[in-house]
Amino acid sequence: MTETKNKETTKIDVVVTGFGGQGIVLTGRILGKAAALGDHKESTLVQSYGPESRGGACSAQVVISDNTIHYPYIKFPDILVCMSQSGYEKYIGQLKEGGELLIDQDLVRPGKEAGEIWYSIPATRMAEELGRKMMANIIMLGFFTAITKAVSLDSARNAVVGSVPKGTEEMNLKAFTKGCDYGLATLKGLEKKAAGRTGAIL
Amino acid sequence: MENINIILFVCNWGPHTAFQTLQDIRADIPPEIKMVRIPCTGRISKSLLFKSFEKGADGVMLVGCKSGACRYGSGTTTAIENIRDTRELLELVGIGKERLRLATFLPDESEALLQLLTEFTNKIQELGSSTVVPSKGQAPEFISRELLAETVSLHDVFTCQDCGKCTSACPLALIGKPFSPRAVANSVIAGDISSSVKDDIWSCLTCGLCYERCPSAVNFSEFIQDIRYLLKKSELTGHETHGGFFHSLMRTMTTPELKTDRWNWLPDDVKIDKKSKTLFFGGCAPYFDTFFRKFMDVNTCNILSDSIRLLNFFDIQPALLENERCCGHDLLWSGDKENFLKLARLNAEAINNLGIEEVITACPECYRSLGHDYAKHGVDIQFNVTHLYDFLEREIGKGAVDLKKMDRNITYQDSCRLSRFENKSDLPRKLLSRLKPDGFQEMQETASAALCCGNSAWIGCDAYSKALQVKRLMQAKSTGSELLVTSCPKCQIHLKCAMEDPFRGDDLKIETMDLASIVARSIYWE
Repeated sequence: MTETKNKETTKIDVVVTGFGGQGIVLTGRILGKAAALGDHKESTLVQSYGPESRGGACSAQVVISDNTIHYPYIKFPDILVCMSQSGYEKYIGQLKEGGELLIDQDLVRPGKEAGEIWYSIPATRMAEELGRKMMANIIMLGFFTAITKAVSLDSARNAVVGSVPKGTEEMNLKAFTKGCDYGLATLKGLEKKAAGRTGAIL
Repeated sequence: MENINIILFVCNWGPHTAFQTLQDIRADIPPEIKMVRIPCTGRISKSLLFKSFEKGADGVMLVGCKSGACRYGSGTTTAIENIRDTRELLELVGIGKERLRLATFLPDESEALLQLLTEFTNKIQELGSSTVVPSKGQAPEFISRELLAETVSLHDVFTCQDCGKCTSACPLALIGKPFSPRAVANSVIAGDISSSVKDDIWSCLTCGLCYERCPSAVNFSEFIQDIRYLLKKSELTGHETHGGFFHSLMRTMTTPELKTDRWNWLPDDVKIDKKSKTLFFGGCAPYFDTFFRKFMDVNTCNILSDSIRLLNFFDIQPALLENERCCGHDLLWSGDKENFLKLARLNAEAINNLGIEEVITACPECYRSLGHDYAKHGVDIQFNVTHLYDFLEREIGKGAVDLKKMDRNITYQDSCRLSRFENKSDLPRKLLSRLKPDGFQEMQETASAALCCGNSAWIGCDAYSKALQVKRLMQAKSTGSELLVTSCPKCQIHLKCAMEDPFRGDDLKIETMDLASIVARSIYWE
């Protein structure tokens, strides 16, 4: 589980999947930008659409590496982010053993193949609560940053500001922070669970 | 040798004979002792015992009849309870329990009495003077018409349209008390503060419902607060309840040298970090629990320990103010602005000195005083004040935390300070909805229109307050709920008091619990 955070691992393969229109490719682009511009690493992005440009399956493949990247396509991702059930079904078989799975819990129902641990967030619902459903991807990005630490928090934040349409920076930052807080809370919850302390009263 | 004062309350019946024998034989009674002859030790209440210390006594001894020899039957038993509680209270406030003693004698035990008096005097000499500085009494001042007029114009009471909405909404008027905010306002405008108007000024609950209703937005509660300040200067009594115990306690805490010990009861599982930049401000719960132990099953200390457990749950180990004093809320609202300011400055300075950034409290009154009234009265505060519910909403909102479903029907008693003064009636309801109870039924009057628990600032409790509390409990019962949720320790104390009504039997009994305790029992990491 913690392999990707290990400093010796120099290359992280991330696949983000979902429907067209969810901002999957933008998420990939921000992620790559954060790694390259913020963390001064190498990164590549390959995007693929299904036959329909809206509502069809869509994915973004992001490679983040300390060294030169020779091949941008990903066969077996270290981290898989799913925002649709079809995307999940298509890629879950390829997730590396011990890889991290992040899902939108209202859109994806993971099966047995997902293993025992995955990270879920109601990103779309949270975005709706914020008033903009389209920001679910940014919430997911915040969640991703907090959980995987594949890119640093500041870089991700700056990349969000630099990539979203002018005038929406504040809203998007809010969404990012919300996702990030949720991720940190999730990690804290896991830690508490591992320590056997889930309640407030012993 | 230090000049010390010891008060000796001696019961008129048994031990006074012994004392008189000592006087007759010109025994060597220590000169530090001032004897007060009393009809029965049972009548020396906690308030009278405590007030002796507030007024400068270094030691107090209550001497009564041997158990079974009490002329009135229960006097000695009552005295034993009062002494036990008052000794605990003295310990909490930092005066020390060893300064108060109870002893019983038969009429012919003069020698033993003398021995004990000498022994006690030596003990007090050893301890030295008490640190409490008695507040100086002031000669009553005359309230001029100009002063009244100034207060009236400060709150713009002239804008009163005489519409009477205040009176028609006032819980006291509705319960049948001949009381009218409008009439009080008109009398004061006319410069009339005759004794009946004064009574009304002290009766007001300052619950703020009239301000909610007033089309001219006259803040009647704040107006009453200022008028009480004037009245307090002109008369000695302030219509205090419980023999003025709580006011005496608060005034005692204005002594800067006093080292209170109010956290000594804290359970071991609660984690504290002295260096934390977040401070938990507790409030007076430990005093309440000790003072009311005899009457009701009051346990407001739970609110404090459960609140800290909730902070711990979110990995916050707060600092505590070791020498925490009362926030001063009740002094401010009963006209004693001078002593309120003393407490406010002492608390604010102590918190500032610790470099605290955020103060979290679960008490609506502390929240109001620290967050609003301190700054309003020019006290320098260098920290943010957050209510526990705001903190919980913020943290729970981040996710990964849930509350166990509550399989009970509940209803909620609003606190006037939180729901009306701070406009936060939604806040506890958000938390309640997270509990997903079997049923949540609002009482007839609710949220910003909620009915008061019957008293505020420990003043003016009478039959109408009781009637008001009974009315509120009947409303709670008629919702069909099994659990009454409160957010203010005083709502709990007052409503529980009314539940004890012997004429009503079990009619009014309903389980009562503070929201913080409920959340602490049901919160968990997903």
